[in-house]
Amino acid sequence: MAVQRGDIELAGLSKSYDGIHTVVHGINLKIPDGAYCCFLGPSGCGKTTILRMIAGHEDPSDGEIVIGGENVVGLAPIQRGTAMMFQSYALFPHLSVRDNIAFALRVRGLSKTDRYRQTDAMIEKVRLTELADRLPAQLSGGQQQRVALARAAITEPRVLLLDEPLSALDEQLRVQMRLELQRMQRELGITFVHVTHSQLEAIALADMVVVMESGQIKQAGAAREVYASPRDRYVAEFLGGQNVLSGKVEAIEGGRLLFAQPDRKPLSAPLRANIRVGVGDRIDVAVRRDDIELLRPNAMISAQQQSALPSRVLAIEYQGSFVKVMLDAVADEEFVAYVPERTFYRDPLVIGDVVLATWAIDHARLLDRS
Amino acid sequence: MTLSRPLVGWLYVSPLMLVLIPFFVLPILVVLVASVFETDGFGGLIPTFTLANYATVLTSGLTFNLYFETVQFTVLTWFFSLILGFFVAYFLVFHVRNPLLAIGLFLICTVPFWTSNIIRMISWIPLLGKEGLINSALLHLGLIREPLGFLLYSSFAVVVAYVHQLTIFMIVPIFNSMARIDKRVIEAAVDAGASRFDILRLIVVPLSKSGIALGSIFVASIVMGDFFVTKVMSGGGSASVVGAFYEDISVLQYPSAAASAVILTVILLTMVSLILRTVDIRKEITR
Amino acid sequence: MSTSPGTVTMAQARVSQRAIAPSRGGRPWTFYALAALFTFYVVALYGPMICIYILSFQDIRGGLVFPMKGLSLHWFIDLFTQVRTGDVQGAFERSIKLAVLVTVITVVVSFMAAMAFRRRFPGDNIVFSLMIGSLVAPGLVLGIGVGLLFNAIGIETSWYGSALGAQLSWTLPFGVLVMFAVMSRFNPAWEEAARDLGATAWQTTRLVIIPVLAPGLVAVALFGFTLSYDEFARTLQTAGPQNTLPLEIWSMTLNVTSPSLYALGTVTTVISFIIIGTALGAIVLIQKRRGARAGGH
Repeated sequence: MAVQRGDIELAGLSKSYDGIHTVVHGINLKIPDGAYCCFLGPSGCGKTTILRMIAGHEDPSDGEIVIGGENVVGLAPIQRGTAMMFQSYALFPHLSVRDNIAFALRVRGLSKTDRYRQTDAMIEKVRLTELADRLPAQLSGGQQQRVALARAAITEPRVLLLDEPLSALDEQLRVQMRLELQRMQRELGITFVHVTHSQLEAIALADMVVVMESGQIKQAGAAREVYASPRDRYVAEFLGGQNVLSGKVEAIEGGRLLFAQPDRKPLSAPLRANIRVGVGDRIDVAVRRDDIELLRPNAMISAQQQSALPSRVLAIEYQGSFVKVMLDAVADEEFVAYVPERTFYRDPLVIGDVVLATWAIDHARLLDRS
Repeated sequence: MTLSRPLVGWLYVSPLMLVLIPFFVLPILVVLVASVFETDGFGGLIPTFTLANYATVLTSGLTFNLYFETVQFTVLTWFFSLILGFFVAYFLVFHVRNPLLAIGLFLICTVPFWTSNIIRMISWIPLLGKEGLINSALLHLGLIREPLGFLLYSSFAVVVAYVHQLTIFMIVPIFNSMARIDKRVIEAAVDAGASRFDILRLIVVPLSKSGIALGSIFVASIVMGDFFVTKVMSGGGSASVVGAFYEDISVLQYPSAAASAVILTVILLTMVSLILRTVDIRKEITR
Repeated sequence: MSTSPGTVTMAQARVSQRAIAPSRGGRPWTFYALAALFTFYVVALYGPMICIYILSFQDIRGGLVFPMKGLSLHWFIDLFTQVRTGDVQGAFERSIKLAVLVTVITVVVSFMAAMAFRRRFPGDNIVFSLMIGSLVAPGLVLGIGVGLLFNAIGIETSWYGSALGAQLSWTLPFGVLVMFAVMSRFNPAWEEAARDLGATAWQTTRLVIIPVLAPGLVAVALFGFTLSYDEFARTLQTAGPQNTLPLEIWSMTLNVTSPSLYALGTVTTVISFIIIGTALGAIVLIQKRRGARAGGH
């Protein structure tokens, strides 16, 4: 396939400060043209550093960054065909909305009429026409974001880089602006690289989610892949939505393994083709929180199909369409069940109730060792 | 980045150095060098190396008296300007509700700074003199029977003139420090039951440390380096270290004057670096 | 929850008496005390000078103290026309010219130095220490030093040469310190954004950094002008044969005989006020213009 304009390839990308403190460890990644890619991870995992290296605001210590087939390392930001939307937007406080957006054209030497013509077209696109003469300080958070977006987009970049664009907004606005970002990306048709620490945001927006920890990529793939089929414990826990059980393999038989921990009875999990296990290995198994059914202690279960853990209810959180029930099934670790709301209220539980946490054995997922 | 970072830094700071080196570093060196020369008695200098000048200055009882007086004035001025400056800044930051009004009042305090300090010094004459306003008013009110002599041409007058001139140097940095205190910290203290005095003692003062330090540096170095306020306001009764230096220069006693100047500068720089140890000014200002 | 004997619960602590109750809109007593102190300070600050200004309007019978004799501009005229050993007019002109020079140089150099200090570079502590040293060193000592230096080299001291340098050694540290305070409010992301959008370093400086910092630069200019205009100790030994205004005032002070000195005080103050007014007006204008550009047509 011919190399598209806005596809990005990171090869062996590293960044360290003073040779001692390494923030990014040899990253390899391919982002296709026109994709919405989210880098997801906690503070300090290196995601922002990678973004800034792609943008050209920071130089890599090692490795290549290839955009649209050309290695851009060493080029100035404007020469890369990238544009960045900064955290807290960095709108020029002394310039109006129009002048902010027109800035890139101004430094290129366009005359006032020319640049205002293009700017006004862009202002229309982001629907800020009535506010064109306002100063950034007079705009709301969402409006500021649209200005920042327009300001970056007017340079007709092939890649748009967003540094935690929604972090500064309140809940409701965040959800709104997410749609706005999605819309813009579809309209512009260019690659978006978006850095965030919110897993909900990442899986809502991204075609490709890149989960990072301590300067390394833990898993990169479609949102569903990363959420429902996490590769290891870290990804499973970070994305939320999974319970992770650990234990030692006691037996392997009939496509399943039996793993146990000293404080509870053994559980079964299906084997996976590409993961090797032997008896005595320590393993992690993930069970989706919404796969867990809570039954009263005297319920009937099929030992061949279902796993069951007796536990006590520790806490209950109402979340609207489902109810989060925290259980003490596993010592020292969180064990949570997402119970559909209507199901819960057919036979509501209270704190202290003893229940049987059950799930289909085939829904348990063996994880890679981190 | 075409140039390496250190180079860019030095490029930008070079004009500053172009001024500081010939007009600060070299003159100090010149004075240092002059202090180890000998005088030929007629204003010329004989290049040798002698510590005799230092010996004379350091062992002279006159020197001790001079420093004693100057340090006295410095301490008194520092004390009063600190109290006054601190509470004026405190008032402006914490009691004036309208920020615009606070800035306006602040400017009103700074405006006299923009006028000649010599003029401000002699302006005390019609006020404090024997025939001045204050004496006339007090006589008129019958509070005293004879004009008070100590108001002008006395140590009292010297301290008054210094405090008048230098309190602004306390107000500005302290105001700056106080304005940076997060009001919510104060609210949290009120929430915990602190009294106003507690808040002052435990929160405001510690957080204004850098402003106090900076102000103290200004006040102390100006008073110790001053030569005419003391002389004029004391009517010649008191002398100051730099005043004596000035007189030595006038009679062309360059080497001993230079030695005295070097000693003073060393003392000043030591004092300043001691103060700067307690507070990292650079970090505080640029925070 | 039980308390053992001897422990003090929060309820028993002697807190309530000294704690601050929510104000019902009124002011605590400390407000009035501090307001009184503030008023006293302002009165004491302006009082002496106002006496001078008033006394400068006496007529020919006027003396140095109250009560005031007559009302006229006599002493102002006397100031500028009377043949005297000094040269007030010339000193005025020289002071203004020198102050303007100092102002321009101070703004440019302080700006550049502050830009340099934003990042650490080797030796930056040395430069910073030299700056503080220049601020703290006794003005007269430096003045003498400069005078001796120029003598040794063989250049003549002059108000536009050695005095300019000596004054700069005083105004530049102030300027840089003010710029430090101003820069701390400058978000470096603005610079990066400009660079991201394709601006060169010079374009970034011209279109973003300077406009945003404009009020701060005006403040530095104000400092530079007034510090130079009133500078005395460093200028004393370095001005050469022609006096600046403070030096002129000084020689008049030494033989104070008539209110013409007061008239001089009034005039210099008026000039200072005009300069301050202009500077502040400029700042207000800049802020207003930014606000007016917004808010629609």
